[in-house]
Amino acid sequence: MRRLPVFFLLDTSGSMYGEPIQALNNALSGMVNTLRMDPQAMDSLWLSIITFDREVKELTPLVELANFQLPEITCPQSGPTHTGYALEFLHAKVNSEVRKGTPTQKGDWRPLLFLFTDGKPSDLQLYRKMIPLIKELNFATIVGCAAGKAADNGMLKELTDTVVHLDTADSATLKQFFKWVSDTIEQGNKSMGTTEQVTLPPPPNEVNLVI
Amino acid sequence: MDKSFIQELFKANNITVGTNRQHLFDAFVNEEKNRLAVKLIMENKKLLMDTWQFKNRLADIQQQPVSIPNATAGKPYEVKLDFAQLNWNDFSYFHIEGLEESGLQYDPETKVIRGTPVKSGDFKLTLKYRINGEDEASAPNEKKVPLVINPNPKSLWKNMESDKNDPYWKEDNVAIYAPLGDRHLLAASKRGRSHANTGGFREDDFAFKHFTDTGWSVLVVSDGAGSARLSRAGSRIACNGIVEYFEQHFTPELRSTFDALIATHTAAPGDKTQKELTRFVYDNLGKAAFTIHKKLEEFAATAAAPVKDLHSTLIFVLLKKYESGYVIMSFGVGDCPIALINKDFSDIALLNRLDVGEFSGGTRFITMQEIFKSDTFATRFGFRLVPDFSYLMLMTDGIYDPKFEVEANLEKLTEWKALLEDLGGKNDDNVKVDLASHTTETANQLSAWMDFWSPGNHDDRTLMIIS
Repeated sequence: MRRLPVFFLLDTSGSMYGEPIQALNNALSGMVNTLRMDPQAMDSLWLSIITFDREVKELTPLVELANFQLPEITCPQSGPTHTGYALEFLHAKVNSEVRKGTPTQKGDWRPLLFLFTDGKPSDLQLYRKMIPLIKELNFATIVGCAAGKAADNGMLKELTDTVVHLDTADSATLKQFFKWVSDTIEQGNKSMGTTEQVTLPPPPNEVNLVI
Repeated sequence: MDKSFIQELFKANNITVGTNRQHLFDAFVNEEKNRLAVKLIMENKKLLMDTWQFKNRLADIQQQPVSIPNATAGKPYEVKLDFAQLNWNDFSYFHIEGLEESGLQYDPETKVIRGTPVKSGDFKLTLKYRINGEDEASAPNEKKVPLVINPNPKSLWKNMESDKNDPYWKEDNVAIYAPLGDRHLLAASKRGRSHANTGGFREDDFAFKHFTDTGWSVLVVSDGAGSARLSRAGSRIACNGIVEYFEQHFTPELRSTFDALIATHTAAPGDKTQKELTRFVYDNLGKAAFTIHKKLEEFAATAAAPVKDLHSTLIFVLLKKYESGYVIMSFGVGDCPIALINKDFSDIALLNRLDVGEFSGGTRFITMQEIFKSDTFATRFGFRLVPDFSYLMLMTDGIYDPKFEVEANLEKLTEWKALLEDLGGKNDDNVKVDLASHTTETANQLSAWMDFWSPGNHDDRTLMIIS
């Protein structure tokens, strides 16, 4: 059975406190429900949720969609955004958990990464050090999502060509964004060249693709 | 007891009892009214403490994260609640409400939730409980816990028609039987559930031709890449293109050159004749493969599409019976196997090297220029001269992924025996393909067999069997 591993890196720094974190929880829940109705996803999708603020927490280790239980995502009232630390953690996880194909083991589909942030990395040096290492992991796609005015598109652009900007992190916008995420995930389990990127579905109005 | 309590009380409130008042204090302590007061205070203190402990315990239980594993509609479910691990050993009563419509039941004797869910959704269960010491007549406490029942994946697949007006439309399912000289060809190609679910097209394809006048047969299978927009056209062009190539370019001169080569080789096999045969295969099948590559480039240009939109794998075989046996020449790019099983089913040979990446779905296509330049190009060809064979099979990954799972199994004879038994009816659906009878009906049986269910494997399926 081929698995499609999908990693979510979610910013839970102080600025997400209050309404944005509520909106994020609701949107994720909507996304999971949508995916559960997709037979292809039910058969192959494995999800992991990692949050980062001052600390990096693996809220859900990679688990198949059928057994996935959405955890409540919380955030502290203030504190830094350790995006670099989060990438470092992810790097180790991908190396240890994503299965490579061998003559006796079925390889996973190339993993997908969604990084959601409403700010910019506080640990810039580590962030920049991790970028080439993350790129080497050969994700089928990395989508950077910058939500709100304080989110830095440029920083995400250094990590991936696919950066989307959300003007606000309110419930309606996040819902649209995660609907698009689930559409993107549905593109992930198809044969393709070994290094080609997944073709992204057209984003909805609320989601602006940063050129 | 009473005395020490009152002493402590007075001390805490800075009331001193003088030595000259000890008699009076003793009498005070022994007064019936005061003794009763102390008793009441003690009881109330205990009540306060107990009530707090109880409330505290209830709050703990309310906050305690309890996760019940997800269920799936139609799939038997059995989960035991481990009271010791949950730290619920102080429960005097426990019941679960909210399972009524789900098809699951809670058995208080064994503390097990079991059953086969009849519907899916997000269920909110109410755990009703009392802890030790609570009045049995009191209303039980309540705790809400979510339970996810996944939909049955089988029920989610839709079967949407593909758009017949599409310029590159092809039939969703095809099955065919054809005699192939003294052998028989059976082939079926079926649109995968993942495509049927979205009204997509079948991207696999196959083609074949038996040249009655010369005895040669050409057999082709191609798998259009799922990620490529026009791969259904790519695979068709590749398959038909190979047949056309040999119709036009396998000239009488070439054929007689080859016949002569085989004659020499059969009479006195040696390094030299072997090399010449290898050379022949490399030149002619290589040219055919490159012609397809060019054809796809041209098609992409006229369709104003990048050539990667046509990404397709390609395997093909040239087959002919000589007096000395069957000649089987092959070429392959991508992850579709060509397998040859000998007459007494004691040996299996894979005729091509599979291009399998470290990640699933990562492979190589006939559309890629680099395959012709790479050092490995020469390894893409095969030549066999065998006295006889039982089966020659060409398949796409839609068959080999579910039936063999990993590459290593393709080399195991037991796995091929299992596949033949599976085809012979040893499967969940009791679908039998009567390989011994050679009719169109057999082809339809093969097509029906291809509906087999395999979780996670819903790609197009194509299988060609020469027997």
